[in-house]
Amino acid sequence: MLNLKNISKKLGEFQINDIDLKISEGTYYVLLGRSGSGKTQLLELIAGLNKPDSGEIWLDNENITRKKIQGRSIGLVFQDYAIFPNMTVFGNIAYSISSGKIDKKDVNERVSKVATELNISHLLSRSTHHLSGGELQRVALARTLITSPRLLLLDEPMASIDASLKDDIKRLLRRLNRQGLTIIHVTHDYREAVSLASRVGVIHNGRIIQEGTPDDVFRKPVNKFVARYSGIRNFFRVEFRKENGEWKAVCKDKMIFNLSGNSYPPEGLLILRSDDIKISQKMPSLHSGNCFKGIVREILPSEYGMEIKVDAGETFYVDISADTYKQQPVSELSEVFISFPREAGIALQGSV
Amino acid sequence: MNRYGPFNWILLVLSSLVLLFLVAPLLGLFIQTGLGEFFETANDKEVQASIWLTVWVSFSATFFFAIAAVPFAWLLARKSFPLKSVVHGIIDLPVVLPHTAAGIALLGFISRDGLLGKAASSVGLNLVNNPAGIALAMAFVSLPFLINSARDGFAAVPERLEKAALNLGASRSRVFFTISLPLAWRSIITGFVMMFARGMSEFGAVVIIAYHPMIAPVLIYDRFSSFGLSYARPAAVLFIIVALVVFTILRLLSERRKSVVTKSEYAES
Repeated sequence: MLNLKNISKKLGEFQINDIDLKISEGTYYVLLGRSGSGKTQLLELIAGLNKPDSGEIWLDNENITRKKIQGRSIGLVFQDYAIFPNMTVFGNIAYSISSGKIDKKDVNERVSKVATELNISHLLSRSTHHLSGGELQRVALARTLITSPRLLLLDEPMASIDASLKDDIKRLLRRLNRQGLTIIHVTHDYREAVSLASRVGVIHNGRIIQEGTPDDVFRKPVNKFVARYSGIRNFFRVEFRKENGEWKAVCKDKMIFNLSGNSYPPEGLLILRSDDIKISQKMPSLHSGNCFKGIVREILPSEYGMEIKVDAGETFYVDISADTYKQQPVSELSEVFISFPREAGIALQGSV
Repeated sequence: MNRYGPFNWILLVLSSLVLLFLVAPLLGLFIQTGLGEFFETANDKEVQASIWLTVWVSFSATFFFAIAAVPFAWLLARKSFPLKSVVHGIIDLPVVLPHTAAGIALLGFISRDGLLGKAASSVGLNLVNNPAGIALAMAFVSLPFLINSARDGFAAVPERLEKAALNLGASRSRVFFTISLPLAWRSIITGFVMMFARGMSEFGAVVIIAYHPMIAPVLIYDRFSSFGLSYARPAAVLFIIVALVVFTILRLLSERRKSVVTKSEYAES
């Protein structure tokens, strides 16, 4: 489907470096990165708004590196939607097919079909000035989908819409992908990747630093930067030692983590996912590796339920569901035990 | 009264003085012109022809130069190229030049020995003392108003909109005519009116190129230098009134056009 070969592009002080990427047909690819990491620039290179300084872009076995933007059949939905303010919703959606080559009746039918699909038929005669973020998003999608693109590029599609509308848009994007549309979606929010992606890439300083299935990337981040992007907040600088045939990670000579696995570097970072840690008021009679006593410093509601900050010599962040919290409520400054299995610890060499 | 501090009072007085300075001479001109002499001048065929010549030549100059100047303004707003700041300087040059000097420079260019003058002569057209020459003189000194205003208008159009249109398969020219131009329309119209107005009021450059046929500013000067102030005054009043009427009509038409565009966009669906 899409194959980027050693794509590089200098943009002022910033540079996109040697990007190699293969995306097969029907993939929902989420490119994660901070603002300024180069993700939008990469989309613009794929769409043809900019040309790379070196490297090649192949789409369906065709080299499109120097092909005109109009002939690529790649749809791009901009972060702020770039809706034409001098046209109605109809005018926007019909823009690509209303240059006179297509019969007016066909134009009306095609606009009507895509508008029905995206549930915006009632907006067609409206000016775009007073549409909500979600409506503008749908108009932008409709305007692109009417061109029947081979590949759909989405630049931060959730960035400008209310949280309540995000689920609707996610459902819509999943449906489009299930219908066979290949999508590249760039975002800074790993939760979008978790809920939508069949493959994920993490871009930093113009380079893709990790790529794979969401499970690969979020369970086995290659460095601290990716780990942070995976929502991991527990990082410990440790020395790895083998004692009596078992691997241990020693943090500041005072906290020892028991690990599974066969080999570790002499030193590095140990990371723990917040949802891999269990919290209880009594010492668990059976735990599979690690258990520490600590004091609850802060309890904050989170997307998943509650986030509990525990001081156990080092700070641990623990995520528990709202139900679990109801069953075992803990209070600030109370003593608790945190535990996690040996397998939960992920070792990273160095940091970014 | 105490709500306003001394600073505000000083501002008020200074602003009033500036306004008075602008309005007083015009007001004096109108007051000192008798109705009888005004209507007599208004019926003078020479005055009528002169004002008509001024209006249509300035309008034509603005219209024809806009065809090239508006795309040029888009280029300046969107593209980077070597010596762009020099090009900006060249565009603003006519504003800072003494207009008689501009007329002299232009005369060298359009007289029979000049580059353009020779080309025009070859098709039997003498640009000196000709409405075409007057149009060139008017355009020379007033073009910066259109270019700068249109350039600012294009620069204010988000480039993403043009990129989005290209991504939807539109050609560069279609993007220009359907996105860039309609969205920069207000600034282009403002620049158009400014260029037209500046062209109509031009004297220094035009008088070098063509004393005859007389445009209104030359006619007013001619009457003043030949017959005195009282003879020139009614012609000046009449020209000011015509200019005000023309600009008001142009403004109204451009406003109306904007509302028509909006309505047709609704009708599209």
